[in-house]
Amino acid sequence: MAIFNLKKREIECKVVYYGPGRGGKTTNLEYIFKTFRKQITGEMVSINTEGDRTLFFDFLPMGLGKIKGCEIKVQLYTVPGQVQYSSTRKLVLRGVDGIVFVADSLAVRRDKNMLSLKDLQANLKEYGLNIFKIPLVLQYNKRDLEEQGIPIMSVEQLDHDLNRQLKVPSFPGSALKGDGIGVALKECMKLTLKSLQKELKWAQ
Amino acid sequence: MGDKENIKRILQEAELYQGQGLLNEARLKYDEASDLVRNNPKIKNKGKILAGLSKKINLLEVDSQKVERGPSSPELSSKAQDLIQKLFSFSKEESAEEAALEGALALARFGQFERALEEFDKLMANDAHRVVAAKNILRCHIALDSEETAADKYEVWAKGDMFSADQLETIRIFLEQVFENKGLKRKLTVVQAPAEAVVEEKQDEEFIDISAIGIPLESGPGKGKVVEFDVNFQSGNLLSLIISQKDGKLIENLEVDSSFEDLQFYSPIAIFNGSGVVAAKSEIKAGPKQGDYCLDIKITST
Repeated sequence: MAIFNLKKREIECKVVYYGPGRGGKTTNLEYIFKTFRKQITGEMVSINTEGDRTLFFDFLPMGLGKIKGCEIKVQLYTVPGQVQYSSTRKLVLRGVDGIVFVADSLAVRRDKNMLSLKDLQANLKEYGLNIFKIPLVLQYNKRDLEEQGIPIMSVEQLDHDLNRQLKVPSFPGSALKGDGIGVALKECMKLTLKSLQKELKWAQ
Repeated sequence: MGDKENIKRILQEAELYQGQGLLNEARLKYDEASDLVRNNPKIKNKGKILAGLSKKINLLEVDSQKVERGPSSPELSSKAQDLIQKLFSFSKEESAEEAALEGALALARFGQFERALEEFDKLMANDAHRVVAAKNILRCHIALDSEETAADKYEVWAKGDMFSADQLETIRIFLEQVFENKGLKRKLTVVQAPAEAVVEEKQDEEFIDISAIGIPLESGPGKGKVVEFDVNFQSGNLLSLIISQKDGKLIENLEVDSSFEDLQFYSPIAIFNGSGVVAAKSEIKAGPKQGDYCLDIKITST
């Protein structure tokens, strides 16, 4: 749940990058950290472990400047994707305002994508949130691997697997190359701010 | 695609998956390649190729085991710990004490037990969170593999006056359950309610039961009025009232030690006047009556 400081006219919201392990969530944040220097307001914090897997979370604070008279601050988080870190994922998800679901385009990760999306739905439900109502975008990562002859799923296949019912904006991307990262974040922010505007009515 | 090209393609996939940390997927591809090599009569140097693949599979196995075992939570820098505490104090806008508890719980959740212990120790000063803090102190000691320290800590509390007998019983049951779950048989001291309570009860009998109290307000929104509240608990000359949140404004100007000369007391057998003093006033921070106020009035004369 975003924090709205009426006195300072400041809104602080939380966007979480969710998805299966090794899908590119941390790489997304690293690219954002390198590329959107102007909007970055602090250091990126990553707590990794064996094999560079996210152990707890990654954190990146951003400032989007003034929108309709209100200073907008955004905190970007990633969750640990590995199945065994379920309780950490749930804790990081608390108070979330918007979600970028980073799916892995590799054909061999098809089941993991679907399981992770189900896990997201279940964790949101525990906080009384509905996956069909929360601002959410999908990013189909690792599209660049097609060039190397590695079997990846088509966008249509991914849409069929993950977005058939959700019908949310989806973006092909490559976190390594930076393709589709900014556009997915911008769309997520647009949906999140629209939802917060409805809830907090700050621009009226 | 020829057999050799097929095997080459599978190995390329395996290496890429390995590079991406997708160890199970890499393993499956190396197995697939090994089977193809083994069953293909045209391939020369089969033994050498299979030995190479087997070596790769063994290395993958070691990496997989490391990942599966999961890491022991590393001790983070104090800066990272501060950040965890700050980011996961969700109630900071509503209640500093609640936020402090959330921050300490997050530190423990992220395996920063030493630091969490420091924070829970600070929370022991807080009436509303003392039992929760105590349980988590014990939990942290157990996570640090010092069950003995946890048991000793409980025994110290059992000898002191920081907790009521009921609270100690809650903590004892909790700790014994944790020990039991870990297969440890450790019995802790059972603390009985102090004998003085019986004496007090006898003294209580000297006071008539008061069911409600009328307080004349000298300031605030109810100035000049007499507001009536039910008595929720009586211990001798001490009356405890729970004031709902919506009536909070009526008592906002009452301070501890504020005295009243003309309180009205309502009992089942009589209504009478007397004087009293505000002994305590606090906001209830947890539980179903969260946000309500607890007001203690001590009767000084009737």
